[in-house]
Amino acid sequence: MVYSIGVQNQNNGSIKTLSFGKKEEGKRSKCENHDALMYDEKRKHPITTNVKIQADKFVNAFTKYPQKGLKGSKNSNFYEFLTMGMVPYLTGSATMIAVFNLASKFFDTPAAVNASKLGKKMGLGVLFYGIGKTLSKKFIETPVNLRYGIDVNLPYKKVIHELPEQGNTNNLVTQEYHKAYESVDFPRWDLFYNNESFGPDRNSYFEKVGKKMGIQDDDLDHADQKVKPLIKEKVIKTKLFSTLSSYFWAATGVGIAMQKPWENLVINPAKRVANYKNYKKVAEAAKEKGMNVAKYNNFAKDFGKKFVESCKEFVNNGHKGMRIAGRSLLGLAVGMTLLGNLSTLLDFNKGRGASSQASSSLIDESKEKVVC
Amino acid sequence: MTNVLNSILANQPINQSAAQKNNSAFVFTSDGKIKPMKDKGQLLPSRVFGSPVEYAKDLKKDIVSIGKAAKGKANDHELGRINDLAMKLGSLALASYLFVKNPLKLSKAMEFVGFGTFFASMSLWPKLAIQAPLKARTGVDIHQKYIDSQGRKKMLFQDPQYVLTDLYSRDDLDKMGKKLGVSENLPDRDNFIKQRAQKTALQGNTLWMMTAGFASPLMSALMCNRLEKPIGKAIEKYSMISSEKAMQNGSYQSLSDRMKQTMSLRSFDSYLAKNSDRLMDEKTISELASKIGGKANSATIQTAIKDELAALKNNVKIDESFVRSALRGKVDDSVFAALTEQQKALLNKAIANKSFTGIADILSKASTGSKKEQVKLSKELTQILGKAKLSAETPTLSQVSGSIKTLYSNIVDFASGKGILDRYINARVGDQSGTYIANQWGRVGDKLIKALKLNGKELKAVSQGNIDIIMDKLAALASNDAEYDKVIKQLTKLIGDYEKTTSSDFVSMVQDKAKTVCTSTSNDLRTNGFVKLADKISSAAKKGTVENVINVNTAERISGAQSSFYRLLQSLDVFRKAKNGSLERQLASMLGEKGVTADKETLQRMVKACQDLVLNATTTDYVEKLKTAGFNLSEIEYKTVMKALFDSEADTTIAESLSRTLGADKVDDVLKGFTSYKKEFMSKVANWQNGMTTELSRRTVDGVTNAANAVERNNLAGKPIKSLIQDVAKQTYNSQKWLKIFGGSMLALTAVTLLAGLAIGRKGKTEKQVEQENKVNG
Repeated sequence: MVYSIGVQNQNNGSIKTLSFGKKEEGKRSKCENHDALMYDEKRKHPITTNVKIQADKFVNAFTKYPQKGLKGSKNSNFYEFLTMGMVPYLTGSATMIAVFNLASKFFDTPAAVNASKLGKKMGLGVLFYGIGKTLSKKFIETPVNLRYGIDVNLPYKKVIHELPEQGNTNNLVTQEYHKAYESVDFPRWDLFYNNESFGPDRNSYFEKVGKKMGIQDDDLDHADQKVKPLIKEKVIKTKLFSTLSSYFWAATGVGIAMQKPWENLVINPAKRVANYKNYKKVAEAAKEKGMNVAKYNNFAKDFGKKFVESCKEFVNNGHKGMRIAGRSLLGLAVGMTLLGNLSTLLDFNKGRGASSQASSSLIDESKEKVVC
Repeated sequence: MTNVLNSILANQPINQSAAQKNNSAFVFTSDGKIKPMKDKGQLLPSRVFGSPVEYAKDLKKDIVSIGKAAKGKANDHELGRINDLAMKLGSLALASYLFVKNPLKLSKAMEFVGFGTFFASMSLWPKLAIQAPLKARTGVDIHQKYIDSQGRKKMLFQDPQYVLTDLYSRDDLDKMGKKLGVSENLPDRDNFIKQRAQKTALQGNTLWMMTAGFASPLMSALMCNRLEKPIGKAIEKYSMISSEKAMQNGSYQSLSDRMKQTMSLRSFDSYLAKNSDRLMDEKTISELASKIGGKANSATIQTAIKDELAALKNNVKIDESFVRSALRGKVDDSVFAALTEQQKALLNKAIANKSFTGIADILSKASTGSKKEQVKLSKELTQILGKAKLSAETPTLSQVSGSIKTLYSNIVDFASGKGILDRYINARVGDQSGTYIANQWGRVGDKLIKALKLNGKELKAVSQGNIDIIMDKLAALASNDAEYDKVIKQLTKLIGDYEKTTSSDFVSMVQDKAKTVCTSTSNDLRTNGFVKLADKISSAAKKGTVENVINVNTAERISGAQSSFYRLLQSLDVFRKAKNGSLERQLASMLGEKGVTADKETLQRMVKACQDLVLNATTTDYVEKLKTAGFNLSEIEYKTVMKALFDSEADTTIAESLSRTLGADKVDDVLKGFTSYKKEFMSKVANWQNGMTTELSRRTVDGVTNAANAVERNNLAGKPIKSLIQDVAKQTYNSQKWLKIFGGSMLALTAVTLLAGLAIGRKGKTEKQVEQENKVNG
């Protein structure tokens, strides 16, 4: 089906017809310009899909959206505001690293060395904070996806038909990348109905999830009605525990970055090249004398080694208080993740299921219902 | 609410109680029909800081939300708030970890300050740089909050396409309209104002997003930078007061009891019980010594404890049955039975003498082997007997647990008392940053650097050790009466405060408490049989005891800093006298008294030597009579220089300066210490007789014995002023450079933001067009 709307140009009064959709010869009309889950795309190419979405958000957050926002465009929306949240996150991280590193090059040797040690730790702290926060969510989200088929991050393409502004009637259709479950109040259930990616039926997705949740086939006549509240419950729990645990993992990341082994990590590429050349000379000289020299650690190896040493130091070194503090922080992160796994993967309400749901339902089951 | 709507649309009967429980936006009339509830949403007043009660209420709500979400029942708003709370919790957990990790009190405190300033910056930056100026200019509060009918607090302009501008009253709109310059005759004026407000908020919020990332870390870092000194001072004061309070009898006892509880016997008992079967071998003894001695924070004690533990042995009775049992398997009973009377007598004698070689010899000779075999057997038997004795002597932990527990209990008593005393000493003269002595030294350095008035380039050069600039600046300071008086007044005030803090009262308090703590523990240990350890803690011999170490260390710390302070005064005095020519005159007159007439060049060389001495010299320079420092002074010249510097009580510009600023009556108090420092320095360091070696330095010349040892002389020499100036210059330069970069960046960012803010809220093309059309239409 092709949808058409007329838009009047405010400058000259001319009317332009905008069409959405595409009609293919001999086939049913298929509307392309509507919101669509990216289930298949993500399943087939999980990394590229993710990269594509993040790259789109990144570029827009730094270019298009601020431009629209600063102009006060009537097409600016909440999605754009939220996406722009990426800007302070990234610029803030860079500024934080700069605060602890930029000035040290003006200091003299001992002060510069000390500043560089702290600067390295702070820089890595920022990096590990981001990694810890992002990766740790997967510890809870992935098991939920594997166990129930509920991907809380399942993206969908949202087609936006913008209003013409200042006589501009071109390029009014834009795209946004949302998540089907980004709102727990208003999940995009509509995108799951009749979705061939999940099966031929209207409720295929809900049936599939329902079965994974242990609901018998006989009880899945109206799978969507039965399963939607259960999915919502899982999504809320997943979001709660992934959020709570993510900040403790982020804190643990910073804690690991604050350990001594990082002080000796050489990050400067020029220095690394010089060190490597020096090593080669020493190694050759040693070889001539028939001596063995330890293998050279490239950056990845060096980094990995220091990471392991720092993790060990984080939980084992120092005085008793420090060991307790390190283990407690790690314990909080791990504990919150495990609690999240337990809460999302085990159904504590199974026994009370139907009756408890009915009691809190807004539909009075005892009264006669008329469906019109 | 959605469910209620769905039910209505589906014509389904509504469960009234459930709907009400869910805080529905609908109410039920008496005839069972439903109607929308009256809207309870309203705007909230804007404040820079919210009230603590509001924070507490919001926190309570968030905690309830977490409970709801854990049951799978929260909404978007609640999950959003949980995210903010989790971010704060995570940061707090991190700050707590870093608090424990950092060894210094100031660093510990700064972890929480950093946490606080970061969140404060995140909240303050948009308020101060964007929201407030925009509100003042346009009347639009871009961060206007409102509370909806469900009691949820939200930002009014968060979603530009869903703004509840209806919540604005007519008054609010009029005020905004006026500031926004909206014509009063405009039809549909209210809507026009609302659109302008919405646009302004959108622009402001975008500007916030663009700038917050740079602003929050910068602002937080700058706030921490500014707060570090006052917080350090507050911690210093707190440590001084609390540690002093702890030394008072009542507090001392209760604090000591509390400390004892933290080192409770229970955990040690359980350690002993767990390891009861372990032999008291070297490994166990080391482990125990570190467990017990670690409490007392003293390496000397730990070693002594090890010795005491090693001395805990079982009594072994060496008799025939011991020998028979030890050698069972090697020497049969038949061998014993076959011994002749004489051999028996010899064996008994050897047993009585505990001579394992004798026993082994007699028994091996009684064996049937060849001579060679007998010798071999004798050696083997000696070894077996030795091992058997050692094994019988070495107790298990359970066998000596009584003694170990007593020892532990004595050490815990000692450690708790010493802990309080250590805190008292450390707060004042501890060898670490953040203590009173370190901060006072820092304050002295700061005053001096300010008085030297170094510009950026000079500061950098001085930080790299440029002595010429230091000399020039000190000379300039010395020649300016007002500046000289000012710095002398400031320094003498700081030195006076130091003298008061480290006065004899402090020293006696340390000595008394050290004596009480050490003697009492020492007596207890002695009574319990740990005499060697008791002697290490306190004994009549004093030398090397813990009590003596505490007193000596304290005295050395005090005198070291004291000398550095006075050396600074001395330096300023020398530069002042060099500048006004009195030093040269003084040197000439002193040489004259000895019948030596010096030429101008010699006198200037001697003045230069005086200046260089106070700036650079170490004790070695005095011992070498400035030879290696490049001043070729003859004996008479050296002695004259030293006399001019350290043996002229009255002739000091400090006294003149203080008399001008403080009044003549107060001069004596301040100068008393200075004069006594100079006298001591003259006799122990600057004396011609002081040589390189200890022997030379202690020799008696002209009836005067130099009794100063190397440590004492180093303490008297104090820190060279050049090092002080260079160190402080380095710190100041680095700090200024950092501040210049990031303070400058912050200023630039603020300026750009404020300027960009000026472009916000202005009439756009469309608004102008609407107003124009309105004008045309009349």
